[in-house]
Amino acid sequence: MNFNKNPFAGLTAVLAITALQVGGALAATPAKMVEVRGEIIDTWCYLSGVMGGPDAVVGTAHHTCALWCAAGGIPVGVRAEDGTVYMVLKIKGEEPLAQTDTIMDIQSNTILAKGAHYVRDGVNYLVVEKVVSNEGITNKNHEDYGPVPGFAVPEKE
Amino acid sequence: MATNNAICCLAAACFLIAGVTFAGAEDFSKGSNAKELGLSGETKATFSGKVVDILCELSGNCPAKCGDGKRNMGIVRAADNKLIVVAKNSQFEFNGPVDDLLPYCNQTVDVDGLLLAEDPGFTAKVFMAQFIRLSGQKEWKMADLWTKAWQQRNPGAEGEGPWYRRDPRVKKQIEKSGYFGLGHEADEQWREENE
Repeated sequence: MNFNKNPFAGLTAVLAITALQVGGALAATPAKMVEVRGEIIDTWCYLSGVMGGPDAVVGTAHHTCALWCAAGGIPVGVRAEDGTVYMVLKIKGEEPLAQTDTIMDIQSNTILAKGAHYVRDGVNYLVVEKVVSNEGITNKNHEDYGPVPGFAVPEKE
Repeated sequence: MATNNAICCLAAACFLIAGVTFAGAEDFSKGSNAKELGLSGETKATFSGKVVDILCELSGNCPAKCGDGKRNMGIVRAADNKLIVVAKNSQFEFNGPVDDLLPYCNQTVDVDGLLLAEDPGFTAKVFMAQFIRLSGQKEWKMADLWTKAWQQRNPGAEGEGPWYRRDPRVKKQIEKSGYFGLGHEADEQWREENE
């Protein structure tokens, strides 16, 4: 490129490259097929700390609350073994807020999920195409924390 | 001239980088009337942006009406083009935000609420929408439509107690595998030891 012919050529080039980069960011985000092993969690209680620390708002202790939140339309996530939290945008090809039992059946379960992974603005998203395996509920932390919140298990009538 | 152009390029690049950095660090708490709740990494935030179906925004797979209540929704913030996950409405009974966002699908809104989260495994913030309005309107609306929408979706779930004790899908799971998800014997054992 000969900048001497056009004094604004350099600036034009920078702006053009930047426009392409911004345009790329505006277009659909590329996905990568991944397998993620982790626990199905309620993202609100986990990320907000509203019910306590992260170890208390997973597993059996938080199972009933996770059912409430999933039925309530709060985003469900997968907490992978390395601690990464993925927002689940589909499960077994089904929309996450569909009024079915699909997402309810696997709350607090540890699964191996295969699907499309998107990353945008610091958030990991997962479109689960297949639950490759399901170990059920493996984190029996109610022995340490009891039910979280405490009223999740009602007193026996 | 070549030197001048190089300086011009460098200055433009610096300006653009500084602009992006500044937008990333923008303080959205100014003008917010959100109620503070003391949640992890919480800051009050009010901003404008386009209401979107998150999966549509990411993948280009876009059903009508932002998924018509079946998909997670977010807001592409106008100030910095960031996709913000809206995880919660203003209600305090395990209620999500989609019923409050859906009427504004693909429209530009102002929202007021809380940005929060402080977790090494999740490096962004999610949003609790407390108030919402179509951009340009004066009056704010409380983001509290979930429970009424639930009643319409579940006409047979009437009775006493909060919705989450009456929800058919929740009841089905608890009847099947108990409050801890391990079966009714585990519930009974815990009760015997703790009540």
